[in-house]
Amino acid sequence: MSRLPKGCINVGGSMASAMEKSRQLFISSFSSFGYKPFWPPAFQLLETAWDRLPESMRTRLMAISTPFGEPCCLRADITMAAVAYLSAQHTPEERPLRLCYSDRIYKVPQPPATGLETFQIGAELLGWEGGGADVEVLSILLKSMDRIGISDAHIVLGDAKIVQKIMDGIPSRVASKLILCLEKGSYSKYFKVLQETSVPKSMLPFLEALPHLKGNSSVLLKGGNLLGDDSIFKPLSTIGEELRKLGYGDRISFDLALTRELNYYSGPIFDLYSPRFGKALGGGGRYDGLLFKYGIFGQAIGFALDLKSVASISSFGHDNNETPAVMLWPGTLSPANTLKSAWQLASRGCNIEISWTSSKEESIRLTRTRHMEWWADLSLDKITNIISGEKFSLKEWNMGGCKCLR
Amino acid sequence: MLTVALPTGRVMNEAIDLLYKSGLPVKALEERGRKLVIEESGYRYILSKPMDVPLYVDYGVADLALAGSDVMLESGASLVELADTGVGKCRIVIAGPSSLEPRFVAHESELMWLKVATKYPHIADSHFASRGIQVEIIHLHGSIELAPKLGLSDCIMDIVQTGKTLKANSLKILENVAPVSLRLIASRKSAEFHWDEIENIVKLIKSAGR
Repeated sequence: MSRLPKGCINVGGSMASAMEKSRQLFISSFSSFGYKPFWPPAFQLLETAWDRLPESMRTRLMAISTPFGEPCCLRADITMAAVAYLSAQHTPEERPLRLCYSDRIYKVPQPPATGLETFQIGAELLGWEGGGADVEVLSILLKSMDRIGISDAHIVLGDAKIVQKIMDGIPSRVASKLILCLEKGSYSKYFKVLQETSVPKSMLPFLEALPHLKGNSSVLLKGGNLLGDDSIFKPLSTIGEELRKLGYGDRISFDLALTRELNYYSGPIFDLYSPRFGKALGGGGRYDGLLFKYGIFGQAIGFALDLKSVASISSFGHDNNETPAVMLWPGTLSPANTLKSAWQLASRGCNIEISWTSSKEESIRLTRTRHMEWWADLSLDKITNIISGEKFSLKEWNMGGCKCLR
Repeated sequence: MLTVALPTGRVMNEAIDLLYKSGLPVKALEERGRKLVIEESGYRYILSKPMDVPLYVDYGVADLALAGSDVMLESGASLVELADTGVGKCRIVIAGPSSLEPRFVAHESELMWLKVATKYPHIADSHFASRGIQVEIIHLHGSIELAPKLGLSDCIMDIVQTGKTLKANSLKILENVAPVSLRLIASRKSAEFHWDEIENIVKLIKSAGR
């Protein structure tokens, strides 16, 4: 048996098909809005990655030395590669830069996960500011999920700036503890820290309510009332309102305590969920810190989703496996003539497979093994329904009942 | 319907008692027989090994759970910890024969290459590694107190409630690692999708725990 390294998997069969179809639809959704496909290298120089990543990410880098002796790591994050690409190869006049991608990332897994590599799909809108950018990215994201068959995809919106700004008025040691509690989801510890430390009285009602401020747009009002100022919630309410006008009102909610472990987010952030999947499919948000580290002033918004999770609940998942429907047997035909016939059938929208065996019985056996419905003898120009035994002339066959008919 | 994972074993009766005091339906739970999934008045209870409870929540199979903070730490699962119920209070400690005590009060370098038997290898690793101490961790699944007695390890990392078992095996607490109690946890997804229901349960559990 050929064993794979621990933490790696072969993806084949129906999952591979579902992933490829989901990937195609995702990329084409964003491409039609000017997002250019982007393929960063799998290796990143450690010297360029190290200072730009938070410690929690650094400890998960998979370091490697290239045959040229350069200390590198396997790409752990595509956003950073996209920003580096913008910084190195695009002048300020060329901004904004819109990129979409589908690629692998590599990280030391955190228990209980065991995988070393994950497949990501994502998009970045770099060098553009304001609510329009957020709404553009989020609406295309939801549209792409609709096309993939995840029409129940739901966005939970927060804003990194809310937590940052509130914590500005608190001693930094306490603020760090509180932020860490929110990142880790340790609400009981968060309330304990609030009880045990002195935070300004004016802040206390909001800080006590913060983990509870989850739900529809009414939480923005509640937050505004508690702070006595709703200006900090304006970006979120604008995004929510614009998405509502686009018909996505019931597919967004808010979580004012939402935070990101990656410290480069600087504005609205979000996670994408489906009621049919136990974890977030992915997430992202607006960032400026990372651009600054590359010498760029401005903002960007981007996100990444786990392609395997997306594919598993797509309309191309295990229960919707679209297998080739017609097995072609060349019989006495030459390979060139076989392929001409195959192309004709394929151009009619039929999924086909050719069995190059000289044995008719072997070809029929393979058709049954593959659970295909039709078997065609190209030299006799005949097609047979394997289940019913009905026979037709290939030219007259109208593909009735052919499952692959589009 | 909310799905709630509960730990089987020693802590299960305490967990059911807490749910009862909180006003949650537990009749079918008390008459469960050998069933592992019990549905009652809008709740689905899943019964699983304590160590597996956080995983059911992390993967979103369960919306809520009662889980020991020891197994939460050990699993590394990504969860929302909603409340410390105060039930099942105990501690994770390092314990060993009293002859080992001088090494624990001396310079930390004296602890290098200590052999530590435990059912919590991740907690043990991070406890010592965070102080720059490399130890040899021996992962056992039960009767941890036997290990130093039979020469398998120098000391153990385990939970202790009264200390009677340690005493019976001539072991002494050498270091406290973390307090342990039963926590109410939720999956990150459920915290977003069912917050109103969850918030209500948090209030009930907190008031019952007082």
